[in-house]
Amino acid sequence: MAKSVQIVTRINGVEGTYQVDPRLHLVDFLREEVELKTSRVGCEQGVCGACTVRLDGEIIRGCLFLAVQADGREIDTIDGISDQGELRELQQSFHDHNAAQCGYCTPGMLLTAAALLREKPQATREQVREYISGNYCRCTGYHSIVDAVCEVLELHRQPSAKSA
Amino acid sequence: MELLGEQLIGAGRQTVWDALNDPEILARCIPGCEEITRLSENQLQVKLMVKMGPVRSRFAGTLTLQDIKAPESCSLVFEGTGAAGFAKGGSTVALTEEGAQTRLNYAAKASIGGKLGQVGGRLIESSARKMADEFFSAFQAALSGNGAGDNAADSAPGNGELQSGRPEADAPEGASVQPAAAGAGAQPAVAAAPAAAHAQSSRPEGSGWRPELYRVFWFALGVFFTLLVSRWLP
Amino acid sequence: MKAPSFDYVKPDSLDDVLALLAQHGDDARILAGGQTLLATLNMRLSEPELLIDINAVEALKGIEAKDDHLWIGALVRHSQIEDSPVVAQHAPLLMQAAPHVGHRAIRNQGTFGGSIAFADPAAEWPVCTVALDAVFHLAGSQGVRKVPAAEFFLDLYTTEMASDEMLIGCEIPFSPPDTKYAFQELARRHGDYAIVGVAATAQMRGGAFNNARLVFLGMGNTPIRALDVEQLVEGKAFSDDLVSQAKQALVGVLQPSADLYSSANTKMHLAGVLMGRVLKQLAESA
Repeated sequence: MAKSVQIVTRINGVEGTYQVDPRLHLVDFLREEVELKTSRVGCEQGVCGACTVRLDGEIIRGCLFLAVQADGREIDTIDGISDQGELRELQQSFHDHNAAQCGYCTPGMLLTAAALLREKPQATREQVREYISGNYCRCTGYHSIVDAVCEVLELHRQPSAKSA
Repeated sequence: MELLGEQLIGAGRQTVWDALNDPEILARCIPGCEEITRLSENQLQVKLMVKMGPVRSRFAGTLTLQDIKAPESCSLVFEGTGAAGFAKGGSTVALTEEGAQTRLNYAAKASIGGKLGQVGGRLIESSARKMADEFFSAFQAALSGNGAGDNAADSAPGNGELQSGRPEADAPEGASVQPAAAGAGAQPAVAAAPAAAHAQSSRPEGSGWRPELYRVFWFALGVFFTLLVSRWLP
Repeated sequence: MKAPSFDYVKPDSLDDVLALLAQHGDDARILAGGQTLLATLNMRLSEPELLIDINAVEALKGIEAKDDHLWIGALVRHSQIEDSPVVAQHAPLLMQAAPHVGHRAIRNQGTFGGSIAFADPAAEWPVCTVALDAVFHLAGSQGVRKVPAAEFFLDLYTTEMASDEMLIGCEIPFSPPDTKYAFQELARRHGDYAIVGVAATAQMRGGAFNNARLVFLGMGNTPIRALDVEQLVEGKAFSDDLVSQAKQALVGVLQPSADLYSSANTKMHLAGVLMGRVLKQLAESA
């Protein structure tokens, strides 16, 4: 058995010290050790996006990042980000467009959509589709999700944008 | 996947034929080969470690020779499994004389499944071709007398090492290594003739009839033990 | 699947990394971005004994414009290249290619050096570096040596790097100011491994191609430069006729292998289509 490693990491703003096995992925660490179940284990190859979380403010795949690598870094899951209020418009739009059914992909989808809003505020529908194509959804067929994201993009593009 | 190829080998046809049927030469030439043992007249068991890009994965499989028309042609059927997937297929090999040299033509069809097929589907042909190229470089080198066991094609430590020096090698379970890689198909076949299988691979200088003597000895021992054990089984 | 068990070490100097590589050889793996390595481990396609995390080695980071070249450290993330104004100014080819590297979440972690060292035949950075005459810096026990990109990619997943060497970065010489760039790639879905792609540069003078470079990915085990086509278009203006001639010349240059998804003919056809598009893009961006 490999030697476990001590890490100090800030998760959703709360700093903690943990002892982890080197081979433990970040997503398994979050789910099992920290008991935050909102990031999901899907493919463990980085293609489905269900494990998407934020590292120092940028989205990454939790299945392709080791817990030991989180030492000295900041991890944010949808739990903390949602509480901050940053996603309010997206969440409302998802709700209005019925863009979440079982909800399995939704945390990853929201985080990816939030990154899109920041990086490509002028995105077209086609660009939205391409950008979120790294997050798989088995329920909705994607149209409602794309509609929701496009609505928020539109909202932000209006000169006197005020959210509903 | 289909692979067609030809090679001009710098040796006479009979020599090439014999070499292709010699497990020790094959063990030195197959890239990543860790072990090769003869199960019967026309069947070989092969264990190899595939190193391709990030993949380091062991495979165990069997190679069966059919339609043998020495020294002109034969077909081979192979199947193997490992932690990374499975492969099965067949190939035909034809040898024609070209002066003092031999032209070897091969046509191979293979299907790959499991993770390797899933992940490596777009590279199956290029990887297979690369392994074939490595095999033939080593084969050429082996035939031109560069035989000491080191081959130019692959510097991996495991390549070419035969079972010599492994006292526990009669027991197939002891013999190789990775729990994940033991091919299920290979185990029963090996268990059937454990002792006979061992002998052929353990003599690095094997050529001529000396290995045959060993083979006969071990076969006799195996028969003796089998008879002994079967009397005592309920 | 979960990754197999391994030991983990995080040295903070290049010398320590090299010492560990020399000591452990093939039993150790370098962890840079981990976007390929960790996926491989998760699928149990490899079971190394030790992971050497190089993310603390500061010398490997940073994008810098120097006097006559752009420096990209091995640990630079794909997304940093995508967002960098320095890259936009001096090597816009990389900016065009960057969005094709997986998805944003992958790009935020994956590294430039990792992609180059891995040398996947369908990767974007190898063809770009060949098109831009990049020079790689490799550190080993004997010091640092420089290898031009054109000599670096040898065979399938095989590079000029020795087993005890490490890529520390890459210098990309500045191109003449009238250089135009085009990058096109085809994949069934965005983020999939590319079926075929091409990185192209040329100086457009009086509407004619000068010093064109066309480098293909996904058409062989390594980046393939279409020298015959480059010579064909030299000094000529873009036209549909030129593209037809170029496609014919291309048949002699590329011999793609079929795979589980596309036949060799399909790949050849697609390569011709993309080549037409980049030639047009180069001509129109003048």
